[in-house]
Amino acid sequence: MKDKRAIILTVLGTIAFAVVPFFLDVDTSYFAYFLFLSFCYTVIAQGWNFVAGYTGQISLGQHAFFGLGAYTTAIIWLHDITKTGYYFDPVTMMLSGLVPVILAILVGIPLLSRLRGDYFALGTLGVGEIVKVIFVKGGAFTGASDGLHLPSTMFESMKPYYWTGLILALFATAVVYLLTRSRIGLALRAIREDEMSAAAHGIHILKYKIFAFAVGAFLAGLCGSLYAYYLLHINPDAVLKLDWTLYPILMCVIGGNGTIMGPIIGAFFVTALFSVSNIYLVQMHPILSGTLIILVMKFMPRGLIGLIDTIKSRR
Amino acid sequence: MLEYLSFGLIIQLLVNGILFGTMYGIAAIGLSLIFGTMRIIFLAQGTTIIFLAYICYWLFTLFGVDPYLSLILVVPISLLLGAGFYHALFKEAAALEDKNISLLIAVGLMFLVENLMTVIWTANPRSILTTYTSLVFRPMGINIPFTRLIALLMAVLSASGVLLFLKKTLIGMAVRAASEDMVSATLVGISPHRVNAVAFAIGIGLAGIAGIGVATIYPFDPVYGFIFALKALISLALGGIGNVYGALLGGILLGLIESLASFFLSGGWSDAISYAVFLIVLMFRPEGLFVRAMLKT
Amino acid sequence: MENHLLEVKGLDVLYGDVQAVWDVSLHVDEGTIVALLGANGAGKTTLLKTISGIMHPKRGEILFWGKPLSKLKPQEVVDIGISHVPEGRRLFSKLTVLENLKLGAYPPRTRPLFAQSLERAYSLFPVLKARNDQKAGSLSGGEQQMLAIARAIMACPNLLMLDEPSLGLSPLFVKAIFELIYALNHQKVTVLLVEQNVHQALKIAHQAYVLKTGKIVMGGSGDELLADPEVQKAYIGERWSKR
Repeated sequence: MKDKRAIILTVLGTIAFAVVPFFLDVDTSYFAYFLFLSFCYTVIAQGWNFVAGYTGQISLGQHAFFGLGAYTTAIIWLHDITKTGYYFDPVTMMLSGLVPVILAILVGIPLLSRLRGDYFALGTLGVGEIVKVIFVKGGAFTGASDGLHLPSTMFESMKPYYWTGLILALFATAVVYLLTRSRIGLALRAIREDEMSAAAHGIHILKYKIFAFAVGAFLAGLCGSLYAYYLLHINPDAVLKLDWTLYPILMCVIGGNGTIMGPIIGAFFVTALFSVSNIYLVQMHPILSGTLIILVMKFMPRGLIGLIDTIKSRR
Repeated sequence: MLEYLSFGLIIQLLVNGILFGTMYGIAAIGLSLIFGTMRIIFLAQGTTIIFLAYICYWLFTLFGVDPYLSLILVVPISLLLGAGFYHALFKEAAALEDKNISLLIAVGLMFLVENLMTVIWTANPRSILTTYTSLVFRPMGINIPFTRLIALLMAVLSASGVLLFLKKTLIGMAVRAASEDMVSATLVGISPHRVNAVAFAIGIGLAGIAGIGVATIYPFDPVYGFIFALKALISLALGGIGNVYGALLGGILLGLIESLASFFLSGGWSDAISYAVFLIVLMFRPEGLFVRAMLKT
Repeated sequence: MENHLLEVKGLDVLYGDVQAVWDVSLHVDEGTIVALLGANGAGKTTLLKTISGIMHPKRGEILFWGKPLSKLKPQEVVDIGISHVPEGRRLFSKLTVLENLKLGAYPPRTRPLFAQSLERAYSLFPVLKARNDQKAGSLSGGEQQMLAIARAIMACPNLLMLDEPSLGLSPLFVKAIFELIYALNHQKVTVLLVEQNVHQALKIAHQAYVLKTGKIVMGGSGDELLADPEVQKAYIGERWSKR
């Protein structure tokens, strides 16, 4: 019953978002930009939500996957690998999602088989930093610290960005939703609750953990691809900064960890807050973020969804 | 002739590494204490060190207080700050199952303090210059800067002090016990808040000492904090959590790796090497390199 | 109105979403040994954990000398005189025997009596004195159990709660443990004993309760339950001889 309601809300919400460009001038409206950013963050937040919220593996290396996706898109375009002349080529975007998956598997096998919990988190942090160095040192191929430039002539209007962002956000949410309702989701939940008994029941722990990790990587890479088309100038500082790991985590936790709507609500809420503070208090922005994080974590650790639940149960 | 030169150079590199590595080690001991009792990775450790370095700097610049003398002020301030951090920020979060919350609070604190420092004190690098900051001993042709030597001394003394505290005092024993099994600790009457606050206080106290070390050795700026925190984490992994001298040695080892790597390879790669070593140790010797007995997770 | 040392009234305890203890009422009189019996998962450990403050009840009361306990934290419970030796001993394995004992006397009220308590511990558990400076983790299973009990009595408790002290021990140690419990009781320590070793437990217990899926199904004196045919059949086995 709750599910049906959520699905109807989502459909209505999507339709509402989809028609916004017909009422607002997407190219100049800050509100539309805010929505676009929120869609972006929703994608990567859902990815992290799946890995950490549902399976309990805290990954601090999402920014590596994000950056990898961005660079993949840039490289494919610049070397004209897919021979397409337009942005948002689905093939390119899929590839940008898959390359991080390769990294995730390569890195995930040793990391997930040997490291538990906090150690795994530290390991992903280390991987993220190593990836950063590799890109800075990558020479002409990755453009070193200056990065790669996509031609800005292709940028005609924000509209395709907006809708692609919406589609991706929907896609990410749908993927996570379907996975969690599937047998895979059940297995992952079993692993999170009690790994030993899950193993005793024949669940191949490593395989599932890597799968979850890969899904998180895929979504991050996808988001990176979208952002690459938007940013046009892809350099290590912009696409490999730790913010891309920390903001999604913040959004998931503020929205409500381990839920489907949580990352969405969190993404919108945090983006809104950052946008507002960016306009009115430019310099203070990170100070505000820091204070906000602390306050929310202290007083609302279960996020906005948790708060809503608490209010509902009090009635 | 050439061989003599390169041998001396190697020694110099090793000495450099050891001398600076102790600062990482001190930071790592602090992290170890905090992680041991609360299972929190206090990512804001590096930024706190820089903050305390600024305190040392301003005491010197505005009031002429000699950096080493300022230990008398900085250490108590740090201890109080640590206890304050715990009570104001981490008290409730430490009891929660979801360790993400504490992690995020630490991150929030890092953002907050780092940018507060940038806004108030600007991003310009600061350094302290006194009569002795350029003093260099040259035994056998090896350069040993005075300030780095003192930093080493401070590191060893404070590590020993912490160890004595943990072994000889009842509350120190309580911290060790709580790090091993918090629930059992409560069953003998130990208050989790008490040991957590003590661990935090000492952790930040050590940050204060590291801050003075950093202030006297390098020019520093607000952004350096995060990098320093990562280095401290790596040192901790190398040395093993729960091992005081181990963490110090881990820092020294990292200093050595950095020193050698940055000489033979260009800048960015030495960082990559450090992280690679970090990963390898995490995966194959998670209990650290300096622990003889195997710890069961 | 009897004044019991410990009184549990109508306790409901949940383990997450699962109810582990259903409307449990029991009492422990000063100077006695009370045994709490039942199969694995019957709720015995949950009950002890609730008394010592690790868990909190959804409903019901726990009274110690008539004063309610349910809001207290574990370290406060130790302070008022209840010591809990948990299942699996849970010593501080990286600390030495002596350090474990020192920590046993952590509550401030116990510290002036430390020297005496230590002497008492050594006299009851001579093997510990020999292993004084060894790391607790290096002791054998039986020695660890002894250390765990010794550590608990360093806090000079009025009520000592033991969760399956004989679990996993050799018959020699099992015998020693039960003799110890008897001796402690003789020294005026009240004991609440959770045990799977029903026969031995009932032999020394003044009172006993049987828990089944979270509910008390039987209660009475130790001798009564020992003679009860149902208890015999369920827990002791067909062949049984009175000693």
